Formats: sequence, structure tokens, C-alpha cells
Amino acid sequence: MKKWHTFFHPVLVFVVAQIAWVSLVGLWIYWYVSNYIIFNKVGDKLSPQLVPKSANFFALVSGLVLLVAILVGLYLTFIYLNKQLEITKLYDNFIANVTHELKSPLASIQLYLETLTLHDVPPAKRNEFIHMMTMDANRLEKLIDSILDVTVLEKKKIAHNFHIYTADVVIKSILEETRENFRLPESALVISGSAPCPCVLDQNAIKIVFDNLVDNAIKYSFDPVQIAVNLSCSTKDIIVTFSDQGIGIPVKARKKVFRKFHRIYGKNIPSVKGTGLGLYWVREIIKYHGGKVTVSGKGQSKGSTFRIEIPIYQTSKRRYINQLLKLTRKREQQQDSENV
Amino acid sequence: MSKNEFKGSKILLVEDEDSLAVGLDYNLTEEGYKISWAKDGKQALDYFEKQEFDLILLDIMLPYYDGFQVSQKIREKSPQIPILMLTARTAPTDRVHGLESGADDYITKPFHLKELLLRIKGMLKRKEWYKKVTSASPVFKFGENEINFSNFQCRAGGHEFQLTQREAMVIKYLIDNEGKIVSRNDLLENVWNLSSDIETRTVDNFIVRLRKYFEPNPAQPVYIKSVRSVGYVFNSEEN
Repeated sequence: MKKWHTFFHPVLVFVVAQIAWVSLVGLWIYWYVSNYIIFNKVGDKLSPQLVPKSANFFALVSGLVLLVAILVGLYLTFIYLNKQLEITKLYDNFIANVTHELKSPLASIQLYLETLTLHDVPPAKRNEFIHMMTMDANRLEKLIDSILDVTVLEKKKIAHNFHIYTADVVIKSILEETRENFRLPESALVISGSAPCPCVLDQNAIKIVFDNLVDNAIKYSFDPVQIAVNLSCSTKDIIVTFSDQGIGIPVKARKKVFRKFHRIYGKNIPSVKGTGLGLYWVREIIKYHGGKVTVSGKGQSKGSTFRIEIPIYQTSKRRYINQLLKLTRKREQQQDSENV
Repeated sequence: MSKNEFKGSKILLVEDEDSLAVGLDYNLTEEGYKISWAKDGKQALDYFEKQEFDLILLDIMLPYYDGFQVSQKIREKSPQIPILMLTARTAPTDRVHGLESGADDYITKPFHLKELLLRIKGMLKRKEWYKKVTSASPVFKFGENEINFSNFQCRAGGHEFQLTQREAMVIKYLIDNEGKIVSRNDLLENVWNLSSDIETRTVDNFIVRLRKYFEPNPAQPVYIKSVRSVGYVFNSEEN
């Protein structure tokens, strides 16, 4: 079954179509040339006035144009088919992730409500159940927000408050906030290095990036979690690396993990919670900052290292960064005028 | 809740969601069951190796090994233990996959507590009933097939294999009613111990599997025949 599936892979179909097309062109040229010669010979003997004085290239050219049109059509069909396939895959992933994430807290809330109705629960247990329900409700809210915010992210509205900071100071302060959010001890998130260079960023958006990276490190690490963050400056970029001691990401999946709704399942994966949106957010936000994010690792169970590069202000991607600052100023001015 | 005659039965609860597991643990303990809670597939298999259980309540989306894999591994070692799958997935393919991996029944999240408790009780009841009815005459032969109902070992032609508990119960029920038409609802009520409001496709899936095991040509069954719009009829002799 799988073999047949591979046989009909879109790329393979496309390659076969290309070969068919090239053969068709060859056949067409061959047919035209050989027939032209025969027609010339025979026509000369039978009825010389039928044979044109010069070669009739019109038929040849129009045939070729027709074949090129077929090629373009094929190519477009291929592109749209591929896009459609990607959307279907994305939709399947979305349904699989979100179904689990929506239904589990819902099932838990329903269970507690029915338990409280059916049993005479002692007060201490009752409080524990209410606490559980509140946590589930919060989880549902967070999930719904993260799905709804994807549209905001895609319209590039998630990061809009760009300002110039000294990378060292701002990044360390955001990391500290993240550490407190996750209630991690200082030893669990160790910051080293320095990046005393200017950068332009949106603090809230970068906080989302750090939160997601730390959340992943916790989910995919064995206790106790150990995250090392290193800051440095290259000639053009500020480099922030996040290294954990978790299960690592297989080489094959390293690019895919940044895709929307992409998740890795398997017997080495210690957590199944999540929507598959976290690293997509990370990539999109960093991209919007003019930077890039990559992941590497030393192998299975040897941890992952996420490397974030953000341009140094006025050194790299000047025009793009200035545009971000300009947009922020414009938005602030608009807000000021609305307030007045 | 009514008095539970299965008090003290040991249930292995496999659920990675803390909040759901705490609630289930409370309710099942209130019913008088003894609960062991495994938080992932690895731990579930570990517990299963070390202890004996009367029933397994198994979530599908689990860390390390998912519910399908856990069910398969458990079935290789114990064909008799009832497995109830708890799942957020409702796609027919997931249900079929669950049943194929060896689960006896499934319940989808969110579920009603009363229904879950009734299903657990029903499964434990079936287990008891099955133990009783098979202890007298454990081996049944028809055609080239032989089923040992005490250990679910089967022989069809020269081929040997193992039935799951639910499969064995379905064929046992059909055999006990040989020559009579058994409706899907009869099977649901007596084998699954459920009212007939769940999909009858569940029954059909089991029949398809049993035919694959025992019929010389599953497309043209001779032992388990369909009676259009009614159900099935079992005959131990080819006619």
C-alpha cells in the first residue's frame, strides 16, 4: 500500500510529466522535420505550386507554443496541487492536536461537575476539584487564544511595539520574567555571555518566543530541567542560544518543527500536550524582527540548541529595521492623537 | 450509586492528564475499585508487568507509547484482560484502530461519569460470566477451526492464533445461539453490555474480523452468515 503511495508522490508525477512533455516536444520536432522533407519531395513531383518556396515555420512554432502552454499549465497545476496537499495535511494536524487539547480539559471539567453532583464530596476534596476545574478552564482559554492569535500573527500584528534597546539588558530582563513565570529556580535557567550591542525588538513578542522555548525545554526534558542561555554578538547579529538537556530533535525533523501545527510523536517523546504552534510562533516572531532561528543537537537524549539571530541596530538590515521603528512611531502618534 | 459486586477489582488507569486522572481515581475508588495510576505508556507497561489487574482504562494519546501500542503489547501477554479505551479521537479510523489493537471497547471524551462506571462494571461482569461459561467446556470445534475459550487459542486450518477477549465473547455468544438469528442489538446488549444507542458498526467490525479468522472465504461466509437488516446467524456445519 505504502509503495503505491510513494509511486504517486506529486514530485514523481511531476518528473514523469516533464519527461513525457520533453518526449512530446522531441516527437513533434521530429515529426515536423521528417514530414516537411517528405512533403517537399513528394509535393515537388506531384504539384510544385503546393509546396511553399520557404520553410513553413508557422506550424512548427505554433506547435511549440502549444506545448509550452501545456508545460506552464502542468507546472501551475503541480504547484496548486502541492499547496492543496499541504493545506490538507495542516488541517489534519490541526484537528488531531486541537481535538486532544480541547477535549481533555472539557472531559475533566465535566467529570468534576458530575462528581460533585453525584457524591457528597468532603470540603477539602471539593476545593481540590474546583482548583482542577479552574486550571482546565484556564488551559482552554489559553488554547483558544493561541488559535485565534494565529491570525493576528499572520497579519504581522503580534509584534508592533519596536524600540531600540541594549540587547544585554533587555534580553536578560525578559529571561528573568520568563523564569519567574515558569517558577524555575535560578539554577534551572542559567544565563551566560553578554551582548552589549543595540537591537530593535518588541519586548512582548520576544517574551512569547522565550516562553515557548522554555516551555518546550520543560516538556521535553527529564527532571530536573536544565536550560543554558548564552548571549553574544557577531559582526552583524545578536546571537541568543537556548540549550536544554532534553530528548533532542531528530535531524530529519529539525526544519519541520517550525511548521504550523507540526508535532513529533514517538516512543521517546515524554509529552503529548500542545497544539504544534509554539515553534511556529517563535519562527514567525523572529522573522518579523529581521532575524532567524535554527535548531541543532548532538543526538537523541542529548538535548537541543535553539539559535536565535537578531540584527544589530544600524549594522544589518538597516532599511527593514528602520521601517519597523517608523511603523511603531506612526502607531504611537495615532494613539496619542486618539487619546487627546 | 448502587452497590457494587465487583468491589476490590484492580483497575490500571493510564492517563497523562493529571486533572482527569485525579477525578477518575476519586470516582473509581469511591466505587470500591483499587486503582493504580500510570502517567505514560512506559509506566503502564511497567505496572502491567509487576501487578495483576482486572481491567485497564487506557487513554490513547500518551507519552512514550501511545494507547494503541500499549494495548497491543498487553494483548500479546494477556488476551483476557478487558481494555477500555478512553479517547478524545472520534474518527472511525481511530475507533477501528483501537479495536484492532486489542481494546474491547472505547469511550470518547468528554464522557458521562455514570456511563463510564456502567461500562466498567459491564466489562467486569462479562469477564466473570465468560470465566464461568468456558470453565465447563473450553474447546469448541467447527469445520477446520478449533477455539479454546479458556486461553483464546485458536486453530484455523494449520494456522494458530489468539483471539481477544471481546472477539472470543462475540463468537461464544453466536455459538451459544447456534441456528438462531442474533441481532446486532442482542450482541451489543449481551456482549458489550450496552444499550443499542452506540453505533452498530462496532459489531460489524468484530464480525468482519471473526470471518477473516474462521471462514475459508470471508467474502462468502459459511459459518457466520448475515441476515439482511437483522443480524447474524451461526452454523457450525457448512451448508
